[in-house]
This record gives sequence, structure tokens and C-alpha cells, in this order.
Amino acid sequence: MAAFVLRRLGHAFLVLLLVATVTFTIVHAAPGGPALLADPKLSIAERDAIAQRLGVDRPLPVQYVRWLGALARGDLGNSFLYETSTVSTIAQRLPNTLLLAGAALLVSLLVAIPVAAWCAERPGGWLDRLAGAVALGAISIPVFWLGIVAILVFAVYLRLLPAGGVETIGGDGSLRDRLAHLILPTLVLAAAGTAELLRYTRSSARRQFARPFVRTARAKGVGERAVRWRHAMRNALVPVVTVIGLQLPRLVGGAAITETVFAWPGMGRLGIEAALARDYPLVMGITLLVSGGVLLASFLVDLAYLVLDPRIRLDA
Amino acid sequence: MIALRRRSFVLPRPGARALWIVGALLVVAACGGDQRPQPQAGNSTDAGGTLRIPLINDPILDPVVAPDIGSVMVNKVLFPGLVRPDEALRPIPDLALSWTTSDDGLRTTFKLRPGVTWHDGTPFTAADVKFTFDQILDLKSGSRLRSDFAAVDGVDVDDSLTVTFRLKAPFAPFLTLLGYNAGILPKHLLQGAPLADATDFNRKHPVGTGPFMVQDVSPGASITLVRNPRYYGTPPRLDRIVFKVVPDVNAQVAQLRAGELDLITIEPANLASVQGVPGVEVQQVPVVQHYYVGLNVARAHFRSPAVRRALAMAINREAIIKGVLRGYGDPAVGTIPVALRDFVADSLLPIPYNPDSALAMLAAAGWRRGADGVLRNAAGAPFRFELLLDKGNPTREQTALAIQQDLRKLGVDASLRTMEFAALVRDRILPGNFDAVLTWWTTPPDPDQYAFYHTGQDNNNVHWSNPVADSLLALGRATRDLPRRQATYRAFQALELEDPPVIVLFFPREIQAVSSRLQGLPLLGIRDALRHSERFAMRAP
Repeated sequence: MAAFVLRRLGHAFLVLLLVATVTFTIVHAAPGGPALLADPKLSIAERDAIAQRLGVDRPLPVQYVRWLGALARGDLGNSFLYETSTVSTIAQRLPNTLLLAGAALLVSLLVAIPVAAWCAERPGGWLDRLAGAVALGAISIPVFWLGIVAILVFAVYLRLLPAGGVETIGGDGSLRDRLAHLILPTLVLAAAGTAELLRYTRSSARRQFARPFVRTARAKGVGERAVRWRHAMRNALVPVVTVIGLQLPRLVGGAAITETVFAWPGMGRLGIEAALARDYPLVMGITLLVSGGVLLASFLVDLAYLVLDPRIRLDA
Repeated sequence: MIALRRRSFVLPRPGARALWIVGALLVVAACGGDQRPQPQAGNSTDAGGTLRIPLINDPILDPVVAPDIGSVMVNKVLFPGLVRPDEALRPIPDLALSWTTSDDGLRTTFKLRPGVTWHDGTPFTAADVKFTFDQILDLKSGSRLRSDFAAVDGVDVDDSLTVTFRLKAPFAPFLTLLGYNAGILPKHLLQGAPLADATDFNRKHPVGTGPFMVQDVSPGASITLVRNPRYYGTPPRLDRIVFKVVPDVNAQVAQLRAGELDLITIEPANLASVQGVPGVEVQQVPVVQHYYVGLNVARAHFRSPAVRRALAMAINREAIIKGVLRGYGDPAVGTIPVALRDFVADSLLPIPYNPDSALAMLAAAGWRRGADGVLRNAAGAPFRFELLLDKGNPTREQTALAIQQDLRKLGVDASLRTMEFAALVRDRILPGNFDAVLTWWTTPPDPDQYAFYHTGQDNNNVHWSNPVADSLLALGRATRDLPRRQATYRAFQALELEDPPVIVLFFPREIQAVSSRLQGLPLLGIRDALRHSERFAMRAP
């Protein structure tokens, strides 16, 4: 086990270094430059002074070596936009994103897996057809449109839920208030993922339900509930875990649009802001963090296999 | 002092409304109570309440280093300057009570308002004024106001409430610029380090002298200001101003309609979603901006003034104002916006829309239309150029399309290319690597356009050069006598008709969608209006 973890850590380090280098090259190759310098009104002298302060007046290889050197000391530099340290800027936003992504993942799991199990047992039934149609819609509808429509319906017309933010500003900060703010962005963010998970789990489960061991279990007189969950679904979920693992980073990094529409102060929106403003240190910091998240998620997926499928062994 | 009016531009609302809107209105009335004004001693007759305004990102709370519009809005509330603009955009006393200028125009002495304190209770003095302008002039501070005050040679403290500015040359826009972005900073909190590095001050704990002070900053979410009990002017009426970070314009509109925002600015394309909404009013204000097509005069096509004038004649600018801006703009004579009532030459007629004359002028300049309808020069090369604009703004994108179509009717082929704003500025406009660009200038409320149109200036991106204009622009900024200054800029605008530096498309009006509970909002662009925030109040729902 220790050797396995060590090997994965070594891989992770190499991957992160590669990601850092590629990202550094791409963000600097993107047209434009730091937004601070893109004010057409600045005089040449003002522009030079700002470039010097940001350190972007140096040749690229020099900037790269300096950035790597600082990174080795655990220093990701200061955000151009915020002028605060990259780490603390991200740290302020990360909890909001984790909360939103976690809530969305939870909703996805709670909805997709039971519904998929139900549909897999009764293919072509009313719920199966309904779920298929809704899932197709949820995958096809763009998030920004779904978000705005959700705000119009629930916040503007029905006045049931707040239109944005994490809490009422100047309010009491109660749990109820925070939950109310969480509902719409969670549902919107969860929509596409839930649909995908549902479709995937359903087809995986259908294959399992058709397999001989299910018939055997039934013939042995095992209860239907146990057949469904302990035999069929447990096997059906092994590949599904991979899909969930792939969704984790997408939820964290890809929440950007949902966060923008719902004025949710998360890291996804920060990432978009940083990319548009060519805030190089912040873009690099967020990319490294999200890549780290991807690596961690795939590591957790591997561990989950061990639990779900006893045939899989570390040394295999 | 100044009359604060509003609603003179309020739009008519459609009469018929569905029942559910009435229902929604009742719910607004029921839900709006979470931020009920708290009665305060001495303000019992005032409405109080909370005003909520959107920003698109976290502001930098320091007027000298702040780079963006959102920051400017918050800083107008927190950091008053020596003067501020009234509703005609003329400077009136603020932190300075009075001033005198020497006969040669090289020294202006300000008497400061006594008894003013910073939000932390420290007295405000002349040393703060000197400190602020020392920082503005020092590039190492991160200052973005240096070019505004390039004419300032130095600042002397005469006594604790008297300060003298020494100028290198007479500079007429000086007072206007003092009331534009030059908020005064507290020396006792900021001395000793570059302003841009004072992140605790400019992100969390700014200290100004304005009518409201920062109570709470929630990164990425909001900034809450509360009334400053020590404010030196008219006591503020609101309890709070909350700036909420809402990056998406459609979400801002939705939040306004849901009663979660009270004052937003919108694009003409968003009008339909706020017109006729109960509890929301729309008002429009001319702002000091000019939208234009900049033709790169360094390119052979555009060197001739007659060609530039002909292209201006070929573009139906009235139709753009009507069709794209839905009427929320004013036609242009020259580059001086109508918001500058004292200086706009409204007796001059704009360049008319006249494609036939345009064709004749282009023919005289050597561009003839062939049988295929394409304009070609003597060498047979077609009249073709690339028109750049920034990506994502519907008003500018539709305007560019209208221009393209108008020019095509003439046989001129303008291909459109949209780019991210930062890339457009940095990779194309600044290096002069463009044929034509659709963009705009937001200028201080003064007719001085020396930086933009004088030969060889950093901001003269189109490389326009006209010796008569150069001398008029130099004279205009050095002349303090109003009638002589007006005559100078009238001559400049007349010259612009014959030798257009750029094709001015229109002067936009800012469209403000406002909660009908908000009172006391002056008819000014939102940035300048916020310098009068002590007069705002929210009627109880």
C-alpha cells in the first residue's frame, strides 16, 4: 500500500510539473496581456512602471524560472488583479466552491442512482421514458440559460428563493438563509451531471440485471431488494465510480458559469476572471490546484474500486 | 446649492399588466422588509434604508491606484476630493472650501474645510493633500492618475488648512480633474510604502472622509458601507450602501427585478427586460464619452481628410442611434460630448448622411466605383480594410454591422473582427497595428482633448496630426477665461468637421434602471452621482 501511494505521488509530481509548464506557456501565448496594462488611457511611462512592478517586463524564460523557483519555496506570487497572495485569494473562494460542488454531487448521487436502478429494472416504463427525456434536456440545455431561467422563475416571478449570492447581505447569516441561497445554484450545477450519471448508471445496471448471477440469486430466493442493491447495483457501480471521479474536478473547475450567473463567490468564477484579465499567477495557482484535485480524485477512484470489487488487488 | 432632480427622463410604461405581476408586486412588498431602516438619533425624519448596487468584481479601495469602473464607483463614496462636480459637471467646493489662482495661472491655493476627520477619527489636514499628490505623481506608487496631473510641479503645505499647487504651465482642466478621480488619501495610514502594496488598506480597511465608511468586505461577494456619523457635509440619509458583486449583466437585471438590487446601468439591448416592470424606473443621462471609428491615419487609405469625411458621410449615424441605441444617444458634431454643455458647439451642423456626396468626394480622392460596384483606386486595388472591435458587447457589435452595411452600399469592403478587449488594446491599438477600430473614450468632464488628438501624444492612437488643431488644443488647455475657451473649442469642433480625427458615431446616454424607492439620485452618470450619495434615500417599501 505504501509503495502504491509513493508511486502515485511520484506520478502526481511529474504531472503537476508538466501541467505547470504547459499552462505557463499557454497563458503567456494567449493574445493580450495583464488587464492592468490594457487601459488604453495609460501613458507609456505609466504602463512601463506597472509592467515592471508586475515583473512582466522580463523575458519569458526568466519569468518561468523565477516562478518555478518561488513555487519550490511554496510561494505562488501575488495576484495581479487582487494584489493579494495567490494562495490566500484562492483560499477565500475555495470553501464556497467546495460547498456548491459537494452539494451538487450529493444531489446527483441521491437522484441518479435510485432512479437509474428503478429504470434499469423496468426499461421502457413511464419513469424510464420520463427520466430519459428529462436527462436529454438537462444535458442539452446550456448552464447559463438554465441559470437565468431558474432565477426568473423562482426569484423574480415566484419570489420563493433568492436570485444570487451565498447569503442575504446584512442579514442574520442563519443556516436557513444560506440553504435558501444554495438551492438554485446547486440544482443548476447538478443538472447536467445528474443526467449523465443517470444515463450511465442505467445502462450499466441494465447489463448487470441481465447477467446470470442475478437470475441465480433470485432462484436462491434472495429478496428483490437485496438482489437489486447487493448483487446487481454493486456491480453496476464499479464503472460508475469512474464517471463520478471524472465529475469531481469538473464540478470544482467547471462551476464557473453557475457561479457567475448566481453571483456565487467561488473559485470557478475567480478562474474565469483571472484568465480574462491575464492574471498569470492566479491562473497558474488555480490550474495547479484543479490539476491536483483531478489527480486526487483519480487516486480516490482507484481506492473505491478496491472496496467495491474484491477481485481488484493493488499488486494485480 | 445644487438642485437634485430626477425622473425628468422617466419612460412611459405600458398600461396593461397581467395579474401575476400585481401578485409579484405584493410579494415584493412582503419580502422587502429584511433590511428595514433602523431609526437613528438626529435622522428621525429620514427614510434611511439600504441601497444595493452591483459591481462586476472586487474593487480596489484606493482612488489613486484603482484601475476599473467598479473601483471608481466605490471610491467616489469613500474618498471625496478637494472639489466635486455639480449637475452641470462644474467643480464646486468639497474638501476645499475656496480657492484662488495667481494671475499667471501657475499657483492655486486652496483653503481646506476645518473640522474634517478621517473615518478613523484622525483630523484631515493639508499634509494629507500633499501626500496624495506626491503619490499621484510618483510612478513607483502604482499611480494611475499621473497623466491627469502631469502639469503639477509640486504641492506646498502653507499651514494645516492651506495648500498651494504649483503648476508647470497654466492648466485650465485642473479644477475639473481634482473633482474627477483624485480622492484624498490619509497620510497617517499609507506613508512609507507603495500604495499598490497596501493591500490591507485597499482591499479590506480603507479609510476616507466620505459620507459612508466600510463596515464589511466579503471577497467576491460584497462590500457594505455604513453612514459616517462624523461626515462634514449634509448628514447622509441612507443607513447603508451595499456594493454586491454580480458579474453577469442578465443576472443584475434579474436581481433588480427580484428586488435584490436597486440601481444598475444597462445596455440598450436589456431595455425590454426592465421597461414596464413594477417598482423599476428607467432614466437616462448623457455621459462624457464619445464612441467612434478610429481610422489609422498612418495607413495610406485614411491619410486624406476628404476620405475620412466621406466615410463619415456614408455612415447613417442617426439610424444607429435610433436602431441600435433605441434613441439612447445623441448625434455628434465633433469629439466634445453634449454632456459638456458649456463647450459643445451645438450651433454647428454634424457631418450629414449623404452617400452620394460621399461617393463624389471619394471619386475626387481617386476612388472610383467600377461596374462590379467596388471602389478601386488608379492601381485597381479595391477599397478594403479591417474594422476591429471588442467582443461581447451587443451595442458595439450591432453598430459595427450597421457601419459595414452602409460602407458596402458605397463599394467599400470593411471586414469585421472581434477580439477580447485586452487583446484588442494591447496587441492592436497600442502598437498601431490596425486599419480601423470601433471604440470609445471616457474623458474627464472637460473639453481638453490634448492627450487624445494632439500630434504625437501617447493616447493619439490614430496618429492624427493637424497643426491648427495642435495649437487650438494647446491654447484650450492653457486658457482659463471661459468665453475665450469656449471660442477655442468651437473652432476645434469646426475644424473637426473638415478634417475628422476620428468618425464620432454618437455620444451615448447611460441607461440607469432604478428601484422606484430610491430618492435623491441626481441626473448624473452613476460614477458622478455617487459623489452625492449623502442625498440618497430609500423610501420604505
